[in-house]
Amino acid sequence: MTVVPAQQSGGSGGTSGLYDVIELILDRGLVIDAFVRVSLVGIEILKVDVRVVIASVDTYLRFAEACNRLDLESGPNKSPGLPEMVGEITESGARGKSKGALSGAAQTVSDAFKQAREESRSGDEEPAKRSRRTTSRARKEEQE
Amino acid sequence: MTTYIYGITHTGHPALPEGMGGIGDPERPVRVLRHGNLAALVSDSPEDLRPKRRDLLAHQSVLDEAGAGGPVLPMRFGSLAQDDQAVLDVLDELADHYEERLRALEGKAEYNVKAAHDEQAVLHQVLAENPELRAMAEANRAAGGGTYEQKLQLGERLTNAVQAREAGDGIEVRRALEPCAEAVSEGPEGSGWLANYSFLVRRDAADGFVAAVEELRKTQPHLDVRVNGPLPPYSFVDLGPARPAADAAQAR
Repeated sequence: MTVVPAQQSGGSGGTSGLYDVIELILDRGLVIDAFVRVSLVGIEILKVDVRVVIASVDTYLRFAEACNRLDLESGPNKSPGLPEMVGEITESGARGKSKGALSGAAQTVSDAFKQAREESRSGDEEPAKRSRRTTSRARKEEQE
Repeated sequence: MTTYIYGITHTGHPALPEGMGGIGDPERPVRVLRHGNLAALVSDSPEDLRPKRRDLLAHQSVLDEAGAGGPVLPMRFGSLAQDDQAVLDVLDELADHYEERLRALEGKAEYNVKAAHDEQAVLHQVLAENPELRAMAEANRAAGGGTYEQKLQLGERLTNAVQAREAGDGIEVRRALEPCAEAVSEGPEGSGWLANYSFLVRRDAADGFVAAVEELRKTQPHLDVRVNGPLPPYSFVDLGPARPAADAAQAR
């Protein structure tokens, strides 16, 4: 599966916090005509992070496989569509998510940013995109 | 020496992060330029400023620090003025506009919300709601996964069903959270989430907003909802007299 709840991806909270809001820092905020802006050439790669479903043969096969696995996990004698079972599974999914989500929502991002900043100060000279790739890779490994 | 601008606030702000480490390596200390009722948070800029992780974080941290004490209009990352005087000239020229914005954003912060489908959960939901798809899935499974054509056929139907949910779920996210916010702004396009919204939330109503997010997660368990905030109100500063298109062209 390639659609993974991003909260499960590894890495420090600070770093993932920055990636979550990077498009705001780069695309929103006050712009003043009299000032020039630093060139952002090369940074577009940061925003390539497709999570919506794209209709393609690959997606079709992936969903069919995922669906197949879903059924097998549910046991051979159970209909995968029984409502109580859907409830059960999604409920446990929600619990897992709420946990990560609670800490994400309740904690101010400022702490996370400070943390990430200290990390970056300890000699990390890499541009942001490098870390992004690492994160994606970690996420991919997690899925496998 | 070029001057880097982090944001604009008013001189009555109680805790400006003067002297805090800003962009660059070594970090350039944050300075405050005052003109009338307005103050600009600036620092010197390194000559080779690039959008590196440490500099993006520095920009965000300075604004975060300042935003905790009072309203700040955050600049987009990477704004450079020829010198300090050029910043003061802009404060003078656009004073009324900035003062109005600072009043409007007093006591408010941005919360960015992104949502994506949890694939397993959304497939379960699609199957639960569609007996025909369920039957196809069962038949395929009974046949050991089905032929390539059968897989494609099932996969296409599933994809369509999931896609159809994306738009509806995006609207649902907005509808669930909008009542707890003063304003809402759609996030930049192309970031690939089924929902990417920024909400302007009163700081004294932040608990209610967070509770609404929790409620949304409970009622829509097939959604993976991520919240970041409180943030400087990047999406609510107005573009002022600038021309966004021209600016984008310049940035490339």
